[in-house]
Amino acid sequence: MDAWLEFARGPLFRLSFGVMMLGLLRVLLLDLYGAWEAYRRAGDKTLPWGYIIRRTLVWFFPVNKVFKGRPFYSICSILFHIGLILVPVFLFAHIQLWESGVGISWPTLPKPVADWLTISTIVFAIALLIGRSFSRMSSFLSRKQDYLWPLLLLLPFVTGYVCANMSVSASAYQVTMLIHILSGELIFILLPFTKIAHCILLPFSQFVSCVAWRFPADTDDAVCTTLNKKGAPV
Amino acid sequence: MNRLDVFKSVLWTLTGLAVATAITRFIFGLGAVSNLSDSTPWGIWKGLNVVPGIALAAGGFVVTAVIYVLKREEFHRYAKVAVLIAFLGYLSAATALVVELGLPWLVWQPVIYWQFHSALFEVSWCVMLYLGVLLLEFLPVPLEETGWFAGLRRFLTKYKLVLVFLGIMISSLHQSSLGTLFLITPEKLHPLWYSALLPIEFLVSAIAVGPLVVILGVLVICYMYRKEADRKTLSKLAYLGFIVIVIYGVIRFVGLGVNGKLPMIFDGSWQSTVFLIEIALMLVIPIVLLGIRKLRYSQAGLAVACFSAVIGLGLDRANIAGVMLQVPGSQYYPTIYEVFVSLGIVAGAIIVFLFCVEHFKIWDVKWKDPRERPEYCPQFGLGSDVWLGSPGVTERVKYSLVFALSFALGFALMPQDRIESKGVEEITVQKARGGDTLFIDGNLDAFGTLFDHARHVDSLGQKQSCIKCHHMNVPLDKESGCWECHSSMYTANDIFRHDWHASPNGATIACDICHKPEQERQKASAKECRDCHIDLYADSTADTLDTYLAVSYVDAMHILCVDCHRGRAVADTTRVALAQCPACHTGPQPDYLKAEMADELSRPAPNHVMMPPAVLQVKEE
Amino acid sequence: MSMAILTDITKCIGCFECVAACKKTNGHKADKPYVFHVNDGLSAHNWTSIVQRPDKHFVRKQCRHCLEPACASACPVGALHQTSEGIVIYDSHKCIGCRYCMIACPYGIPRYDWDKPVPYVQKCSMCYELVKHGKQPACTAVCPTQATIFGERKELIAEAHRRIEENPGKYINKVFGEFEVGGTSVLYISDIDLGFLSYVAIPGTKALPKTTATAMEAVLPTFFGVGAVMGGLHWLVRRRQKLQRENEESEG
Repeated sequence: MDAWLEFARGPLFRLSFGVMMLGLLRVLLLDLYGAWEAYRRAGDKTLPWGYIIRRTLVWFFPVNKVFKGRPFYSICSILFHIGLILVPVFLFAHIQLWESGVGISWPTLPKPVADWLTISTIVFAIALLIGRSFSRMSSFLSRKQDYLWPLLLLLPFVTGYVCANMSVSASAYQVTMLIHILSGELIFILLPFTKIAHCILLPFSQFVSCVAWRFPADTDDAVCTTLNKKGAPV
Repeated sequence: MNRLDVFKSVLWTLTGLAVATAITRFIFGLGAVSNLSDSTPWGIWKGLNVVPGIALAAGGFVVTAVIYVLKREEFHRYAKVAVLIAFLGYLSAATALVVELGLPWLVWQPVIYWQFHSALFEVSWCVMLYLGVLLLEFLPVPLEETGWFAGLRRFLTKYKLVLVFLGIMISSLHQSSLGTLFLITPEKLHPLWYSALLPIEFLVSAIAVGPLVVILGVLVICYMYRKEADRKTLSKLAYLGFIVIVIYGVIRFVGLGVNGKLPMIFDGSWQSTVFLIEIALMLVIPIVLLGIRKLRYSQAGLAVACFSAVIGLGLDRANIAGVMLQVPGSQYYPTIYEVFVSLGIVAGAIIVFLFCVEHFKIWDVKWKDPRERPEYCPQFGLGSDVWLGSPGVTERVKYSLVFALSFALGFALMPQDRIESKGVEEITVQKARGGDTLFIDGNLDAFGTLFDHARHVDSLGQKQSCIKCHHMNVPLDKESGCWECHSSMYTANDIFRHDWHASPNGATIACDICHKPEQERQKASAKECRDCHIDLYADSTADTLDTYLAVSYVDAMHILCVDCHRGRAVADTTRVALAQCPACHTGPQPDYLKAEMADELSRPAPNHVMMPPAVLQVKEE
Repeated sequence: MSMAILTDITKCIGCFECVAACKKTNGHKADKPYVFHVNDGLSAHNWTSIVQRPDKHFVRKQCRHCLEPACASACPVGALHQTSEGIVIYDSHKCIGCRYCMIACPYGIPRYDWDKPVPYVQKCSMCYELVKHGKQPACTAVCPTQATIFGERKELIAEAHRRIEENPGKYINKVFGEFEVGGTSVLYISDIDLGFLSYVAIPGTKALPKTTATAMEAVLPTFFGVGAVMGGLHWLVRRRQKLQRENEESEG
């Protein structure tokens, strides 16, 4: 068991972390390069910058959704995301691992805050899952991975909470810790290739979709040619 | 999959592995990923990438000389390929240097600190100047494609002849000065390779093989893009190489003959075997294949001859810059990580080469990707069913993924143990043997210390002398020996085994027995060892367990012994010798070892230190 | 004024005081057997060491401070250079880490910080900071038996020869370092052969920088020579082509 833990903490962690970092960078660069190519070919080169920035901010801080639309769902989502980002990055135990490995560290969350954030993440993830499956509109739009992702994201949080707080027997501790590490690494590896890549694409998604709706310069002519109405006014 | 696809995927994989290694090298130092050592300070990065890389880039100046100086217009279509290969050869050598140098961010310093007597100073100036010249020579090609800076392009094309001349002058100087580098090592370099004519040999062999590299490059492109090679012109170019190879062979063997080294070729040592292989690859095979007209005009003959000469030249340079430069007795073999970087840099250069071939007019026609033909269907993403666009787009998506995955794999493969130990050998301490007189020899190398236990018992008064050394007990033990906690010869080690305490096969202790609830689970706030292990500390010892780290065995011995001994030596001026190392390290040698040592010492090198270097401990005063 | 160290192997008792003093003066940490060390006791943290030879012979190994140092001639940036006292010192600000000095040194002295992300070359500086201020190096100052002494090179060579003559049969009749590789500032007299200190048992008396000097002097002539030859060829070929063309035109 020790050897497994060692392997999961060492090579496997480096593998998954490398896949995540470079994978995300790759997705981002491909995205922006695609946007740049679309923009270069576009006939109409004006971009609604104000609109893009406004929409991006709205997506970033979905506060107004709390007041209109689905307040319960929005609040759950916001709180879920806060815990999801803060806890893994600022947990004391994680930073200690970084410090012993490569010698870098940064401020940590106090333990009670981290504990409560963990619990809130777990609770809101379950709430979101329930919301998704019982709301007819969302369940109609949902794919399989939309149900699986919250469950997978829950796994390291639950096991991490157990390892950090509950007193379990020695063997249970090691198994739980192994599940904690492996599930975290699975998330890392899947992250750049699934919808979770929105963690890095979100700031640019409005920009990219705005750019994508600029048509190439000679589109109207091409459409007319295709329709055998060459020269017809568009 | 297309052969080009496979080839490019392999190249991107190698590049990813190389980048991961390079990053590790910059964070943890050269020793973390390479087998370089004080006896072999230059490894395959210099021996395979820098020196042979530059030699193989000689095609640039040779081919341009033939075209622009000797006005052989029939080779004109290969001018750009030659310049591009030379540029990438130099660029890859420079990249290898960046990874290989200890302080690569200062690589430009030869520009300000001039040292005319240093061959390497000249080499570095030539590399910088020639890289610039090659860049200017090649620049019109991409500029023509993009249409940017038309004025600059016209200027460069107009004064091309000046650049060509500069290129010839700089690089003939440079090729020979690479040979000068090794003139200063008459003692280390094997006599079959060492020669006062090294600079000339380097220059001539580079001129010989340079055009053959260009031919090989052209043949590879033709194979990859399924085009027909212009065999007639290529064979003519190869004939040029053939003539110079013959000249090189004459120079080399006359040099060996004059110095009376010819008998060494057949003396049966492994060096002579390597020499014969090198001569076969570089001289015999190319001379036979290129000398026979029919073979020279066949694609296979041409390819084999060029390949053999290229490998032969690479081997020659690698021998001079590494393999045959070794200090007797020391062994160097590259780590897999060194190989990653070595191959990755070459792969990166080939990727850029293929990019230029596909995007610029490298010769008469632009080499289009064969998949841009209409019969190739549009491609779709595997999971997403999203249209991936034209093959160019697909390529971007595909190869960036290959790179990311191989980078992560390379990162996972990094040698964790080696990085953590920082190159210190991990030696488990063996317990001291003997009764009243102990023989302390933790690493069992027989160079130990005799410790008169009986005499030391009363040195501080009974009780005090005991706890001086036996300050802690292993659980369920009394007067535990030093080796039980200080169990590593040269590194500090953690004596608290967390995993064992929590293991189902060990102590099976639940978390909250040591870690109080509502507290961060860390060492600082955990329960202390003595709370459970009552007899952990010897009675009335002043020692406490500040950290869980036990200092290395050597440190433990020295801190204890040297402290007292120095004190005694200062107090009693008649016993100064007590504070000197040989007071303890008398090093009685068992008889069986004497014979072994005599054998070791009969060799001129390596030197053998009988006292382990680590017996030295500087005492802060 | 050329300063030197003379080590008398017959007087050395192997007490390691010089090694300890060297470590203290240069602030080096205790040594460990690293995988990238040579087994002669020298390392990045040990600028001098004592090599033990059979029958209680202790040979102090350190930088020889050659009169014409191969390392300094090899260094492309002059990080290693010789002072007016004949001491070869290292300037870490100039070093680019090429390690050509390690290749060039006939005694295998320079060592490297292989385990550090910012590595430097490490070698004995003959305590230049002390010598500059008229003191002597830490190792010679501390030697309890005067086995290793510091002084002017000329005087020390005279002293060495005097000792050899006064004790016939005690020493090998040779001052090690007087002529080897052009002469070194660290001299030895000994009753055993010290060939093991260098890569070959008997180093030549030719200074190593001289091996490259001929080639280096040829640099500028070669540069312009190649240019001139190429220019001449170019002119010839063009002229021939021009004449040929004129011939063809007149014929046609």
